[in-house]
Amino acid sequence: MSKLNVTDIQGFTLRGYNLPFARYLFLHFAEDPKHTRALLHELLGRITTGQCWDNGKPSSTLNIALSHRGLAALKLPAATLLTFPVEFQEGMKARSEILGDTGINAPKNWDEMWHSGHVHAWVAINGQTPADIDACHAELTDLIEKTGGARELGHQDAAAIVVDGGASTIEHFGYTDGFGNPDYVGVDRKSQPGHGKLAKDGKSWEPLATGELLLGYADEAGELPVAPMPHLLASNGTFMVYRKLKQNVAAFRAYIDHEAKFYTGGKAKLEAKFIGRWKDGTPLELSPNYENQAIVKDPDQSTNFTYSGDPEGTRCPMGAHLRRVNPRDSFGFKGGLVNRRRITRRGLPYGRYVPDGQPVSDTEDRGIVFMVLNASISRQFEFVQQQWIEYGNDNHLGNDKDPLLGNHGGHGKFAIQGDATAANPPMICSKLPNFVELKGGEYFFLPSITALGMLAMDLVDPR
Amino acid sequence: MSNINGKVYAMNVVTPMKPWKTWFLRLIFFLLGAIKSKQQDLINLSFIEFARWVIVPRKSFPRPDERMDAEELRYDYLLFFSNFNGTWNQYIDAFSAVLFQGLNLIWMWSEKFPGSVPVTPFKEYISRVQFDTDYYYTAYPHATANDLKAAHIVQASFDQLDATTATCTPREFEAAYLKFMLQVQSHLGETGEPPVVF
Repeated sequence: MSKLNVTDIQGFTLRGYNLPFARYLFLHFAEDPKHTRALLHELLGRITTGQCWDNGKPSSTLNIALSHRGLAALKLPAATLLTFPVEFQEGMKARSEILGDTGINAPKNWDEMWHSGHVHAWVAINGQTPADIDACHAELTDLIEKTGGARELGHQDAAAIVVDGGASTIEHFGYTDGFGNPDYVGVDRKSQPGHGKLAKDGKSWEPLATGELLLGYADEAGELPVAPMPHLLASNGTFMVYRKLKQNVAAFRAYIDHEAKFYTGGKAKLEAKFIGRWKDGTPLELSPNYENQAIVKDPDQSTNFTYSGDPEGTRCPMGAHLRRVNPRDSFGFKGGLVNRRRITRRGLPYGRYVPDGQPVSDTEDRGIVFMVLNASISRQFEFVQQQWIEYGNDNHLGNDKDPLLGNHGGHGKFAIQGDATAANPPMICSKLPNFVELKGGEYFFLPSITALGMLAMDLVDPR
Repeated sequence: MSNINGKVYAMNVVTPMKPWKTWFLRLIFFLLGAIKSKQQDLINLSFIEFARWVIVPRKSFPRPDERMDAEELRYDYLLFFSNFNGTWNQYIDAFSAVLFQGLNLIWMWSEKFPGSVPVTPFKEYISRVQFDTDYYYTAYPHATANDLKAAHIVQASFDQLDATTATCTPREFEAAYLKFMLQVQSHLGETGEPPVVF
């Protein structure tokens, strides 16, 4: 296929900016949609597109996405609003039972801002420095005041964790994060083996169909994804899931310290078994016994592995986070059962980082702002969340949940498969608490530049 | 009346075939039955408990009473019956993704079959020819086929441990217990409530 029209696609859809600071703002639109349209009109020329940065990275970027309530507040025709997928119309809160967002993760326990249900838009500023973020935010506030198009309900700051004076890719538990997002046909990015889908030979990798990420293109089933009408409103857009995930670092460290006493493989290996990678990022599948920076740094190796040689999970446990959320060829069929369940992830940590060994308390809020981009929230994100994180049958794990992300409520169980050696013993971790808690979120539509223009100019006709 | 009982879904699909086409399907069933390797893909879908296709010829429809006239039917019928774990969408998605060739061979003789790829017309077709289940009993609503198979392995391994360790020393027991753990370690999933259907 030919190249995508990157100037029509929001940059956030096509690439992780790799900028160390971010602020996510949440807007409530004005009563009179005329003012909101004026605001969108002002923003139109400022939105960062997928165009190549010939002169290096900008100091800041700006992107926008709208909730279904936001689209309704813009007074889109009812016939158009009804063409959006059901899960997007309902919003994330209404889907909490489906997603397993119950108990401590239930919407009643989310941050105050989400209680009203009035979040109409998400605006993301990514920047080189906090000052760049502030400058862009001030500019946005001026536009909001000038047009009267919205009011800010709140915002969430996030930033890469600083290690040895530089921005890193580790998250609060201490694992190196951000390895493999999927490749898609036509999306120009640095690609490496392991990023797309398995080819027919079961060994090499090829990009996923564009329609797994972008609306208006054929997907892995050879058809156009379910999308709103008219098609100009949908094309080059995507759906985004926003989830604020609080990480209970103290609980995690205490749990690991306790269990490590009974695990003869050592604490570092136990931590690696939870996620499927050693803390430095080395995949267990490629190096089951020690960290290996040569693998982590080699793009031909760091994501280039399958599970067919490890059907019992003795290297990477069947229930390890990595193996659950991207099972590769775990279910056979050369990965054929997972190609329509892939998601693109974006995000940054928030809150103060506490290095291992220093006192840490879970009353302090820290975690990760986790965002998902996909053509179908129900087929991709919701399926992964329900079937692979909060359930385990596809991996022959019954009702067991993802050890790290699962909503365990103190009753979770994680079986670590091993062999007859003392360095790799079988182990059952039980009474897992919630290491991660959901603090809020919503489903958004991330429109193309064309679609944003249609919204700004009130040009969406019912179809 | 529901097709769902706990973790199990029962699907009945009935499709009409022109009688001259039924012969081709009989041949295909004969070949699929004889070549066991051709069934392997279906068997490898671990969330399927059971799947069967049966031809119901137009002349062999039962008559409730001999005094009633035999119906004059123009079509033979293909009955598909399956029990599986997971949702309707998940099941048909998987069929369409990895079994499309086999499915096309079996269903292409049925009237108006659109093909199993792309998946949306296939789903529309199935939803039109599916008959809902009036009553559905399942012995283990909180278990999947994988769970049941796992339970058998755990039980057999445990029985073996029990039988072989009655008189052994602590050191021998340690070795036997490790062996037992390695046998059961990937078969220990919990049973319980199914995820919410969507």
